[in-house]
Amino acid sequence: MNVETARGTWSVTWHGLRTVALLELRQRLRSTRWKVALTVWFVAVGGITALTSGALPLYGGGDDAGGMIYTIVVFFVLFLGLLVAPALTAASINGDRNAGTLATLQVTLLTPAEIVFGKLLAAWAAALAFLVVSVPFIVWALLEGGVEPFSIVTTMLMLALVLGVVCAIGLGFSALVSKSSASAVLTYLTIGTLTAVLPVVFGLLVPLTTTQDEVRVWAVPHGFDWAVDERPPECEWRTETEHVWHSERTWWLLAPNPFVVVADAQPLGDPDDQGSPPSGLKDLQYGVRYARTGPSLEMDYCGGLDRAPSPVEEVEPTDAMVWPWGLGLQLLLAGGGVVVAVNRLRIPQRVLPQGTRVA
Amino acid sequence: MVNEGGGIRAQGVRRAFGIVQAVADVDLVAEPGRVTALIGPNGSGKTTLLLMLAGLLQPDAGSIRIGGFDPVTESYAARSRTGWMPDVFGTWDSLTAREVLTTVAAAYRMDPAAGEARAAELLTLVHLGDLADAPAHVLSRGQKQRLGLARALVHDPEVLLLDEPASGLDPRSRVDLRILVRQLAASGKTVLVSSHVLTELDEMADDAVFISGGRTVATQSVTGATGEAREWRVTALDPAVLTTWLDGAGLTYRTEDGGAVVVRLAGDAAAATLLRDAITADVPVVSLAPAGGVLEQAYLALEEERR
Ligand SMILES: Nc1ncnc2c1ncn2[C@@H]1O[C@H](COP(=O)(O)OP(=O)(O)OP(=O)(O)O)[C@@H](O)[C@H]1O
Ligand SMILES: [Mg+2]
Repeated sequence: MNVETARGTWSVTWHGLRTVALLELRQRLRSTRWKVALTVWFVAVGGITALTSGALPLYGGGDDAGGMIYTIVVFFVLFLGLLVAPALTAASINGDRNAGTLATLQVTLLTPAEIVFGKLLAAWAAALAFLVVSVPFIVWALLEGGVEPFSIVTTMLMLALVLGVVCAIGLGFSALVSKSSASAVLTYLTIGTLTAVLPVVFGLLVPLTTTQDEVRVWAVPHGFDWAVDERPPECEWRTETEHVWHSERTWWLLAPNPFVVVADAQPLGDPDDQGSPPSGLKDLQYGVRYARTGPSLEMDYCGGLDRAPSPVEEVEPTDAMVWPWGLGLQLLLAGGGVVVAVNRLRIPQRVLPQGTRVA
Repeated sequence: MVNEGGGIRAQGVRRAFGIVQAVADVDLVAEPGRVTALIGPNGSGKTTLLLMLAGLLQPDAGSIRIGGFDPVTESYAARSRTGWMPDVFGTWDSLTAREVLTTVAAAYRMDPAAGEARAAELLTLVHLGDLADAPAHVLSRGQKQRLGLARALVHDPEVLLLDEPASGLDPRSRVDLRILVRQLAASGKTVLVSSHVLTELDEMADDAVFISGGRTVATQSVTGATGEAREWRVTALDPAVLTTWLDGAGLTYRTEDGGAVVVRLAGDAAAATLLRDAITADVPVVSLAPAGGVLEQAYLALEEERR
């Protein structure tokens, strides 16, 4: 027997991690439903890819459909992933507790952190299996053209990270509540809040974040008579009071949205490139970056009518990256889930979750 | 015999769940090299006490030492010395019996080769060799119980906490369990067994701790019981001759259905005297034996007091 120096709650060894992860994977992989789930997933993603790449070019756009196909396939994979990932972990602690197998692990020399990270690792690996199954279709969509090839790297990376975050949140809830169904619901509610509720709140806040501001406008002079003057107007600086939407105050509501994180992390194309084919991912990326940049306090009302070039600077969304903030927020949530789970697995336990026995 | 460093020592241990005081005040000492029985009615707090000894539950008050270590403040050291077998045995049901044991060995930080060897050894010990590679969910209740026992032994712990290990076992397995527990004690381990089958504990245990309503109500040595007063059952070919003789000898007794007579005697010597006198007096005695085990009598006597 190895009587070593005592290990603390947070100490993690590769040996312990591997023991728990292997145990979890063996437990899961031996049930045949897994193969069925992967097959269904493969067929679903494949079907969507085939349908979009078959149908979109027919709606016009011709060769330009590539960006849209890529968008639809990637978002579909993310959507399915958000549905599946909570199921991978939402029962992994309270389910074990109800089956009487959690305490048997806790009394061994594994630390709580090893149990939690081992479970997380196994669930994440399972989630990644779904991603791997989708890779052929994402590559297919990429081959339709219109998307920078490097995008696949950022897309897969972000998809993998987002699914890992969802697994960690599920793990936290499964340690927190004693019923597996309740922890699944709480996880879905959290995901739903990030993907749907926060963007809706962002929209509802538009009236509140719109203020009457003084803005400098570059405009056609008052009293300019279009009928008389033949020469284009000479535009001038003027100060006017306008309704200005300060989206830079609420953009962060959009940031943790998984779809935003995936879209914004791709390489930013040139906004002025008129030949760039339409792509939902790109539109979303520009949308959130402009939202973060906020309105400019100088506006060009002349619209190229004047003789001199406009002195109003264009808003450049390039640097206003949104995904690091979004991913950061998500990682905070994931970290919270892990901390909760580890604390709940500390023994000896002082309080038991309502309605549970240790054994 | 008294070794301050070893065994199990619990003093003034309390634990409540909300308003239910599951363990109110338990004092318990289990010495290394001896088997200690933990006896008490349903709901008396045995499982709760064992959970605290195993380091899973924190006591509200009192002190516990497992092999000299406090399971609350020195959890890691205490855990490495404790083998715990829960009363309701949950298992990873997709794993085979062998994998269950190798996984537990890995969880106790044994290296894989040692874990494999230990698993094979334990599977033979609990007679699960031919089911070693069957998934655990096909095992019967008794087989699962045996696997649970093997699991508690994986890391060769010096303190064993067995919560109703015999439940669900067939007679053969019970005998095996008894022999195994005696062997473990003989090799210097501390064994604490909770059970409701008192006749079995009689043959297995050296000491007994009775708890009721979450309190230690008595501690008793089983092996030292030969000198203590207890009840003996006497049968004779003709019960009437026996009772007449007992009346004449001035002994108090009570008769049971079927003609057997139960007398209370001061000890084994008194029993020998009674038998010799009865035979000398030509009473056709067929048998003379202790009525129930030591523990059963002690338990029933305690129950009697409580009424
Ligand atoms: N997690 C819990 N929450 C609330 N009450 C509990 C909990 N665990 C045990 N109890 C209560 O504590 C008391 C002691 O329970 P315990 O399981 O220790 O009894 P036991 O002596 O093992 O009984 P048995 O012989 O039936 O196994 C019981 O009244 C039980 O209802
Ligand atoms: Mg019990």
